[in-house]
Amino acid sequence: MKTFLFIVIVLFSGAFAGLIHGTVNFAIVEPYLDQAIGIENQNLFESGEEKDSTKFWVEYEGYRVWQKSGQILAGVILGTSMGALFGIVFALSRNSLPGNNDIKKALVLAGIMWFTIYLIPFLKYPANPPTVGDAETVVLRVILYLSFIAISGIGAIIFYKLSHKFQNKKKFVSLIGYGIFISVVFFIMPENPDEITAPMNLVNEFRIMSVLGVSSFWISIGIILGFLWNRFESNKDTIKYS
Amino acid sequence: MSEFRQITVSKTGVSKLAILVLAIVFAAGLFVVGFDQGHVFSLVYGEQAYTDLYIHELTHDMRHAAGFPCH
Repeated sequence: MKTFLFIVIVLFSGAFAGLIHGTVNFAIVEPYLDQAIGIENQNLFESGEEKDSTKFWVEYEGYRVWQKSGQILAGVILGTSMGALFGIVFALSRNSLPGNNDIKKALVLAGIMWFTIYLIPFLKYPANPPTVGDAETVVLRVILYLSFIAISGIGAIIFYKLSHKFQNKKKFVSLIGYGIFISVVFFIMPENPDEITAPMNLVNEFRIMSVLGVSSFWISIGIILGFLWNRFESNKDTIKYS
Repeated sequence: MSEFRQITVSKTGVSKLAILVLAIVFAAGLFVVGFDQGHVFSLVYGEQAYTDLYIHELTHDMRHAAGFPCH
């Protein structure tokens, strides 16, 4: 596939999948964000940091509209970014992915990436709504979260590469090896230092919606990129034999 | 009478330029949505950008929903 076309379809796939992610979040995550921000505001009033005044609410409405409208735009930006990573990995691994067409191959890869660089890190450092999280620890939490994503992703690649040495038990060895490795890392990595101060049912429901939103992205990117790859790939040789 | 069959062989070549471009898009997009605290706009607006936090606020809801630590 030509370089320009490859870049275009990868970025388009990511942006479109991100648009879906943002739209899904807008529908199912926003109500929980509103609820959590409501609690956050109440805490500000009770602690005396803010006054329950018209000025506060005018200011609040101003930036809240900006935040809500940003959900979809941020979805497109994040989707384009993650789509770029997905495109690189798909292009490099496509020939060894299972499946008899590009949509199946892309969906398999999307599932692997969803599991290794999203779900596993999420189980260790789950998403939290506003009102949970101390601003003083945000840098530490970012470092922990990114480190775990990187360790999980790189670990998956290393065990995949190692699996080539065990042709007959390829899947078994790589899966078990990665499983043991990531379990050890899971228990070694420090916990999120922040206490959860919001109601647990709100936090849990928010997390479920968050997982559904992110999952919608990975399913979408697999289908869209797989379809476009199939449609535009011209580098195929047809061989006739008798 | 001879019977013809056909198979399709697909070759994948990925240019280094494409990987470089996509890697830059990946890093830049991830930073903007996941971690910017005024850094990007500070290139234009200086220190004020760290107070205004336009990108942080714009990406606030997605940041929480996608699992990034926000504040």
